[in-house]
Amino acid sequence: MMNDKTYYLNIFKVSEPQLQTLTATALTHGGDYCDLYFEHTTFFNLLLKDGVVSSGGFHTDFGVGIRVLKGEKTGYAYSENTEMTDMLNAARAASAIATGSSAGGRTYAKVADRKSDFYPMKENWRAKGADSFLPFMKDLETAVFSKDSRIVKVIIRMSDSVCDVMMYNSLGELTYETRPMGSVTVTAVFQQNGKTENRSVSRSFRTGAELIGQTLLDELAEDVVKGIDERFEAIRPKGGQMSVVMGAGASGILLHEAMGHAFEADFNRKGQSIFSEKMGQQVCPKGINVVDDGTIAYNRGSGNYDDEGVPGEKTYMIHDGVLCSYLHDRISASWYGVAPTGNGRRENFRYNPIPRMRATYMESGNADPEGIIASVKEGIYVDEFSNGQVKIGEGDFTFFVKSGYLIENGRMTAPVKDINVIGNGPQALSDILAVGNDLKIDNGTWTCGKEQSVPVSCGIPTVLVSSLTVGGE
Amino acid sequence: MITPNETRLAKHCISHAKACGASAARVYLNKCVTDSYTILNGELDKVTHSADRSIYIYLYVDGRYGTFSTNRLEEKELEDFVVKAIEMVRMLGEDECRQLPDPSRTAKDAATGNELGLYDSSYESMDSQTRLANAHKLSIYDKIINDPEEKPYRLISEECEYSCTSDESYTADSQGFEGRHSETAFGTFSEMTIQDKDGNRYSGYWWQATPMAAETDFEGCGMMALERAVKQIGPKKRRSGRYRMVVDTSVASRLVSPLLTALNSASIQQKMSFLEDTKDTKVFHEGMTLMDFARTHGKNGSRLFDTEGVATKDAPIIENGVVKQYFTNTYQALKMGIEPTVEDISRPCLMPYMKGEGLQSEEKEVSLKDILKLAGNGILVSGFNGGNCNPVTGDFSFGIEGFAFSKGKITHPVREMLITGNIVELWNSLMAAGSDARPSSRWQIPTLAFEGVAFSA
Repeated sequence: MMNDKTYYLNIFKVSEPQLQTLTATALTHGGDYCDLYFEHTTFFNLLLKDGVVSSGGFHTDFGVGIRVLKGEKTGYAYSENTEMTDMLNAARAASAIATGSSAGGRTYAKVADRKSDFYPMKENWRAKGADSFLPFMKDLETAVFSKDSRIVKVIIRMSDSVCDVMMYNSLGELTYETRPMGSVTVTAVFQQNGKTENRSVSRSFRTGAELIGQTLLDELAEDVVKGIDERFEAIRPKGGQMSVVMGAGASGILLHEAMGHAFEADFNRKGQSIFSEKMGQQVCPKGINVVDDGTIAYNRGSGNYDDEGVPGEKTYMIHDGVLCSYLHDRISASWYGVAPTGNGRRENFRYNPIPRMRATYMESGNADPEGIIASVKEGIYVDEFSNGQVKIGEGDFTFFVKSGYLIENGRMTAPVKDINVIGNGPQALSDILAVGNDLKIDNGTWTCGKEQSVPVSCGIPTVLVSSLTVGGE
Repeated sequence: MITPNETRLAKHCISHAKACGASAARVYLNKCVTDSYTILNGELDKVTHSADRSIYIYLYVDGRYGTFSTNRLEEKELEDFVVKAIEMVRMLGEDECRQLPDPSRTAKDAATGNELGLYDSSYESMDSQTRLANAHKLSIYDKIINDPEEKPYRLISEECEYSCTSDESYTADSQGFEGRHSETAFGTFSEMTIQDKDGNRYSGYWWQATPMAAETDFEGCGMMALERAVKQIGPKKRRSGRYRMVVDTSVASRLVSPLLTALNSASIQQKMSFLEDTKDTKVFHEGMTLMDFARTHGKNGSRLFDTEGVATKDAPIIENGVVKQYFTNTYQALKMGIEPTVEDISRPCLMPYMKGEGLQSEEKEVSLKDILKLAGNGILVSGFNGGNCNPVTGDFSFGIEGFAFSKGKITHPVREMLITGNIVELWNSLMAAGSDARPSSRWQIPTLAFEGVAFSA
């Protein structure tokens, strides 16, 4: 489907001349640029509870979003069908942004198409019925129960989506692709001596139905019972400032919250980010590279194109400790006079695209992870998270630690859980003391909620931050 | 407006489902139109127009159940959609507890959709020029920039948004239930970013959403956002320790939402609730009474029926510290062998409480000022930054921002602090709950005060 233009034109029941008519109509009032975003998404979900897959469903979403830019100003409207009359009405509504506008014109340039395919789908989810997945869910439940006699409940959620998108703009660029996504989440509830604990693990990939199989089943069943003994024993540490060792993988949420959002170019263009005036400056120790990458094969955050038709790429935000790029959509790229970085993303056709992260990670350093832990006299090691947040202007970020360990005299000792960690982005960056050689990308169901929800992922090697504030009693 | 043809299509989905083998069905048809105008630094930055129309179909087939939705509302496409949906439901496992609610429990008084007075008909006559003018009314950028008075800050950015929404729904089921709900919402939002003389940035935001256009506060929104940013200049670290905590009404709902999650029967049945087996038990401080005022005329959150069509009612959820109600839909009731209630809360309202005789107000309303005076010394929380509450244990840890206060007066801002504890224990340390919840909020949670909360810095 990737290379079949006709497939996409047929889905959306439009012709190329009609696309041209729509962009011309949208620019009637003098806009600088216009784009069309056609989307057809099918979403399936199944839920296993109490031993039965007793709930499920599918959902269909279809429509086209039309955006007009005048300077940096945006007019946006959409139609939930592709009847020409309704699309023309949406085009006229979006065009109003340019009516009587005194905003200076801005030039939007074509971008080279790389025709990549980061997520070839072997088995299309749409060709599979729910019955294809029921044995997997039942087997997974059985496998989880067999792992630990303290388990009293198992809940399994499985979902898949297939999204056909076609994008056309007033520069004449026509791009199209099909984006698959499959996700499985397992939650187990454990009881021991009157105490209850739970643990959830998930995997999510841009891939076809070939994802569902024994390898995934074994991995999830093994993972969901991991560390549960420690969880029953876990304590709350004494709160305050201390060294924090971020375990490899999901600790990448630190980068997402502490830096990634503040590097999104819309916040910087408007002067709202704490990094607004720091381009080209040393923002963390030499040798550190931080990347936002849309090109990792099958990754949840990857995109052959972003939602403005810009090809996915690997973007260095920090190189050798120096801030070298923000994350751009077409608006901010034009404003800064740079090429867009493929970060213009949106939740669906109802939203205009804005700069968003994809897979954000720090590249490996050269420190031995065990040596990093051994170097800490007093602190905590954290490796499992649920959510985070940032205040863009101040740079204050938080992330919630579901589990970790105290570090005492270079050794991991008592397990800890349910603590929030807070810090300041620029300060935390400059307080990085060591970067391990063990980069790991976390493949959980991470979703970023900046105005709109989009799938992302994160990763990091083992990293030592000299001081963050840890919640405690 | 939902048209007669759209209503017909919704009903047709039910009859077609029955004809194709479903034993029961429910449909939910929603139409929502929103226009929003964003002003950046005094100039129009973004205009968006959205018009959504979708239908949700809940199917009960051979003791099995599934939920489906689409925004493709052509009759033939809907018929095919229903057929495919039924095919899928037949693949799922049987669960005899999946049933429609007892018809005697469904609402009988939701015929027009505007029985609660949440729809402002002036929405229809408000043209785009008026809406744009309203958006510009929100901006105070020029006023601040051109003010000759010297200030301890520089305004870097002002972003404000005016939005107006019309939201209508129609719910029907195969037992004959029909219910409508209509509401309008007029929203204002303002966010200010400032820089102090040392180059430090601070941001503040404020918002309002009201069903009635005439109740919109335009200039107050920007001024409040600016004030919230300016007040943060010059934060100091406070040492870790236990302090009295006052929580501003604008963010106090954050401490109530974990309780509502724990009171949901689905969480309880899956052993994912710290309030399991607490019904009719005194769990919280006797001063804590949380009501669901679901049927308050003209107020955000009010509704006559829940997702299943079950009639709402004004009822205590927690009364004098005693848990009075779990949120239990038909499925969970049958599964757990308990009486059904409603699926979830509509309009949470925490009642005023004053410990001892220390809280006196000169005004009719017990406000932040009164509660600071009562608490004396401690930390006022004006915002939460991340964090979580473990649904199984109630253990929480939240990032906060706010102000230290002494002898009832604010002394200086604090930031990069955390509070940590157990949510049940926290509510057992309740000192006071004011009567100053924002009238426009769905969550009627006033300013709160608690004893001995663990702060980390």
